[in-house]
Amino acid sequence: MAEHRQRPRRRGQGELEALVLSALREADGPATAGWVQERVGGDLAYTTVITILTRLLGKGAVTRERVGRSFAWTPASDQAGLAARKMRKVLDSERDREAVLASFVTGLDPDDERLLRGLLGQSRDEEED
Amino acid sequence: MGVFVLLPLVLPLTAWPVARLAEQRLHPRTATRLLTGLAAVMAACSTVCLGLVMVVGTAQLPGNPLPDGWSDPEVRAAVPYDEVVGKAAIPALCAVLVAWGRTLWRHGRVRRSAHRALGGLPDTEVAVLPDDLPYAYALPGRRRDRVVVTSALLDCLEPAERRALFAHERAHLAARHHRFLLAVRLAARANPFLRPLRTAVSYTAERWADEEAARRMGSRRAVACAIGKAALVSRGTPVGTLAGFASPGPVPRRVAALLGPAPAVRSWPSAFTSVGVAAWGAAAGTAVSAMSSANSAVTMVLILHAATPL
Repeated sequence: MAEHRQRPRRRGQGELEALVLSALREADGPATAGWVQERVGGDLAYTTVITILTRLLGKGAVTRERVGRSFAWTPASDQAGLAARKMRKVLDSERDREAVLASFVTGLDPDDERLLRGLLGQSRDEEED
Repeated sequence: MGVFVLLPLVLPLTAWPVARLAEQRLHPRTATRLLTGLAAVMAACSTVCLGLVMVVGTAQLPGNPLPDGWSDPEVRAAVPYDEVVGKAAIPALCAVLVAWGRTLWRHGRVRRSAHRALGGLPDTEVAVLPDDLPYAYALPGRRRDRVVVTSALLDCLEPAERRALFAHERAHLAARHHRFLLAVRLAARANPFLRPLRTAVSYTAERWADEEAARRMGSRRAVACAIGKAALVSRGTPVGTLAGFASPGPVPRRVAALLGPAPAVRSWPSAFTSVGVAAWGAAAGTAVSAMSSANSAVTMVLILHAATPL
């Protein structure tokens, strides 16, 4: 466990990480460590905030980009949500995406659905026998 | 040159029986390679012949780059398609070229925009997107191939079924299935008679990935369940193919095939079965197609050479 010079007895590592991450999520876009420190309430040292953010970066929970001489931090879960929205847009806009992206399954019509449920049920029965 | 020049335009019809039979009777890997190869050769021959007929057709147009000797009666007799067919070939060839360009451009655009959408994520092979729409895709890339799957789809699968899903998508990427799909797509654009081969290959490529996943997992049932569950949870998503077909759709056929025994691997079907006869018929059609387009091309070169005063 890395020691925190600030308040090692009062707050565990996971708690501090959750605190920093939730502060970062409230930001509109990428935020600096200084902004996070203010948001958290000022009882964390700037270096501690940096340490926690770096640890979160190692876990893939946040990403960072260089802005001037410091870094701007973004929560990664937001990145994933953003990627999901962008991907949905790509899929919705392309009628013939099947040619490029081999889809795992295609849609079912009602007859197919009945047939499929029958097949899966039958296979389950065989397994139980 | 005669009527041979028009043969490659209709010979793709000889591949219809094998396109229909191969998906049921051949190992999916054999079927995919066979049908893609047939489609590619036939499309190339068909396009070459369209080009040759077009050259003949342009003889009528003012300002064509062909030599003056072209209008000689003897040359006219050797190339009998200078009237309606020749002129019709001009827009047909243009349509083929435009369709190819659009298909390739769209293919590149979908791949680029899908990679761009994943740009902010860590550079891992599997990208899990938090989305309540269940889907999974294999996304081929120049630097890195990626498997895109949504949390909604993963949530409805058991651990073994998730492994089956990833094995299926990795099989698509490892065997470069997108190239087969693009090839048959371009072939179907070149000659509409090749469309059944495109439909057949998009099915056999899925079956190929299913069989590969089943082999890796050691369980055909896990793959069947993964496909079945994924299809049931994502029903209602728009279908790219024709809906309301009388025969069962691709998903129940894939599940039924996986619940049955593994298909035998043979590089070429025996000539004494129906699929063997169909495969040999398609191979003969392809060979005739290649020969007659080569014959027409050579004849055209010879005629042009003879008609040129040089």
